[in-house]
Amino acid sequence: MLSRVAESLFWMSRYVERAENTARFLDVNFNLLLDLNRITTVESPECWIALILVTSDRERFESAYGDYGAEPVTDYLVFNRQNPNSIISCIGMARENARSVIESISSEMWEQINNLYHYLQSATPQSVQNDPFSFYREIKNASHLFQGITDSTFPRSEGWDFMQVAKYLERADNTARLVDVKYHMLETTRQEHEEVVSRSVDIIEWMAVLKSCSALEAFRKRYLARIEPRSIMEFLILDRSFPRSINFSVCAAKEALWRLSGGSGGRSLNSADRLIGKMEAELSFTTMDDISDTGLHHYLERLERGIREVGEEAHLTYFASHTPEIEPFPDKDRNLPATRRKAEWREAQQQQQQAYCP
Amino acid sequence: MKRFFDAYDAEASRYYDEVIAREGGARSHYEKLLRRFAMFSHEDVKTRREMANIFFRNQGITFTVYGLEEGIERIFPFDLIPRIIPSAEWSLIERGLTQRITALNLFLYDIYHTQKILRDKVIPAELVLGSPHFRREFVGVTPPLGIYVHVVGSDIIRDREGRYLVLEDNLRTPSGVSYMLQNRQAMKRAFPVLFSQYKVRPVEDYPQELLRTLQEASSSVPGDPNVVVLTPGIYNSAYFEHSFLARQMGVELTEGRDLVVNDNIVYKRTTRGLERVDVIYRRIDDAFLDPLCFRPDSKLGVAGLINAYRKGNVTLANAIGTGIADDKVIYSFVPKMIRYYLGEDPVLENVPTWLPGNPWEMKYILEHLGELVVKSANESGGYGMLVGPESTLEEQERFRELIVSNPRNYIAQPTISLSRHPSVLNDSELYGCHIDLRPYVLTGKKTTIVPGGLTRVALKRGSLVVNSSQGGGSKDTWVVDE
Repeated sequence: MLSRVAESLFWMSRYVERAENTARFLDVNFNLLLDLNRITTVESPECWIALILVTSDRERFESAYGDYGAEPVTDYLVFNRQNPNSIISCIGMARENARSVIESISSEMWEQINNLYHYLQSATPQSVQNDPFSFYREIKNASHLFQGITDSTFPRSEGWDFMQVAKYLERADNTARLVDVKYHMLETTRQEHEEVVSRSVDIIEWMAVLKSCSALEAFRKRYLARIEPRSIMEFLILDRSFPRSINFSVCAAKEALWRLSGGSGGRSLNSADRLIGKMEAELSFTTMDDISDTGLHHYLERLERGIREVGEEAHLTYFASHTPEIEPFPDKDRNLPATRRKAEWREAQQQQQQAYCP
Repeated sequence: MKRFFDAYDAEASRYYDEVIAREGGARSHYEKLLRRFAMFSHEDVKTRREMANIFFRNQGITFTVYGLEEGIERIFPFDLIPRIIPSAEWSLIERGLTQRITALNLFLYDIYHTQKILRDKVIPAELVLGSPHFRREFVGVTPPLGIYVHVVGSDIIRDREGRYLVLEDNLRTPSGVSYMLQNRQAMKRAFPVLFSQYKVRPVEDYPQELLRTLQEASSSVPGDPNVVVLTPGIYNSAYFEHSFLARQMGVELTEGRDLVVNDNIVYKRTTRGLERVDVIYRRIDDAFLDPLCFRPDSKLGVAGLINAYRKGNVTLANAIGTGIADDKVIYSFVPKMIRYYLGEDPVLENVPTWLPGNPWEMKYILEHLGELVVKSANESGGYGMLVGPESTLEEQERFRELIVSNPRNYIAQPTISLSRHPSVLNDSELYGCHIDLRPYVLTGKKTTIVPGGLTRVALKRGSLVVNSSQGGGSKDTWVVDE
């Protein structure tokens, strides 16, 4: 498989997953605010700042909007084309990547991405404000549909594995960020509002975190109704069977990476294989006590760094090999590569056209 | 109820109409079509047209319109009424084009080797050697099988008497063949009954034929040669076609950045390392192929590709330097080439052409600017053109200056009233639009022409320009056995 094709499949998959996660965060935040309207309002900035923190976009957001609130944050995360992580940018880039490998994916996959793209083009901030739930459900369902179509129409070949690596790395990263930021936020609010915040508010907030990972039912089955921060952390970080937990995602990414290199047969591992194997092993043998000893924030930060390094190594091993000058890995600040290249490539590829037209 | 063909006015006394004969009544090969359409109302036709449009949109068959921030993707307009060519006429076209392409390949070989035709003064040497598309540095480089043009799209028109004439040859990177194939799919869906009433020769094997041609052109050792399509990328207006052909042939679609040259061997970069490439069906112009050899600012090309080509380690289809035969001034000499190399009379004639390089022809052109079509020798896509009868005096003045200041760069031809074919304008009205025909000629060990081609139609009242960039569309083209 051409390195460029593999890379496009990788990013197509990753962008779709990222758009879905952003939709989840926003959706749950709305829900949460409605549940909490006794102590805060939908417009209060502190309820929205977390969403920007999850995506590490604080500076860019503040220079463009200034104030935090439902409207600016939604606009920034859904519609802002300058924000490479907004849903509209992500789906635009997913489609762009799909288009560049249209001969390698099934036409059903292309149609699904194309449909989602056109759905977003027709959406307006007004329509999202009026009915946020339907809007976010649409995005989530479209992403699930895309994954389902891929599952049932795409051959289990190299390309499939690249898409799986991308999806699960992105998911692990998002869950880590979500847990990290939410934990921090909730601890702070709890201290500030000690006198008014009842135990029930605490529970509602933690339920929201679970909901944003579609994990509430699964969690209840495992832990019954004991909704406590510690068990929630344990579930989202260490559970081996829930498909949005970090451990599960890292494990799935490892499987796919090892299939790609044939590494499971005891042959030599490349650096990406080694790194992901190490992460998986560590997650498998870690307990919540270990995490408390390290410090949650510190632990999650290390995970996020690990995920980024795996991405970098996979990039060097499969996409950037034999390139005359190796491009620096472009995901340092979650700024995705094709965004930067897009204008440049459009210009380059139209060179020939311009030569034709006087 | 109003029937579909009722209101059609062929104006057969003024034009050659493909369907209605001059003396009235339908030409015999169109009778079944007219009978079938007589059963349709305007509503029926509209429904079928929508079916076809949905097919095109879902397949993503679009071309990109430039100049806007986000390139806009449009559907290439498709006209529902097929153009029918009886097999007897087709065999004339087939013989004519085979003869023509054979002569053109011999001409290119000659020009890049001994230049006998120039020394025999059949073609003035300065016209060839002074052409911007003549690649001096490739004199003496012989491509495999001595073939320069593997894929040609020649534009054929019919004059007022219905004679088939060659208007131009596209020997660099002719486009549009994917529309020929997709139009056929759309027609089969929209008119299955009508289609089954004719014995239409299939065009579906074009991708296999193309692949065979490309494999035959490989210079490498036995085994399956590794063929790739080289595209400028997704922002190129013909990207759909590039990816379509790669998919149909089952070969890899590559961009310049996917290829590297090492020790004069071309490789593609894969997730498993480098793999050798033997044949490149390139949809990139000469000038952009290799920044080390041609335009240094090219971002589409592959550094070192030309040296690999020179060493005979990779085949380029089409070869480098074929643009000289694409030059409209050289076009006017093709009948002479046919006589010179093959000793035969041309089966298909050229459109009469005046060259302002000759003083007396220059005089004639300048005196008749209002009647002639003036074309720039090296533009395509309907650009750089003056259509005399439709032009203003200012435009004529501008061209007069252009021609006088650079006579080598222009040709003039009589304004030929292209044949007309009933087509649907604005969703409702049946109108005789001007058409041409672009068959695709493949040359490997032998020459193959898939029966049919792209019939381009000027979907504007009275317009003679059929290019897609100027409001043209296309029709399915049926070569039928009687």
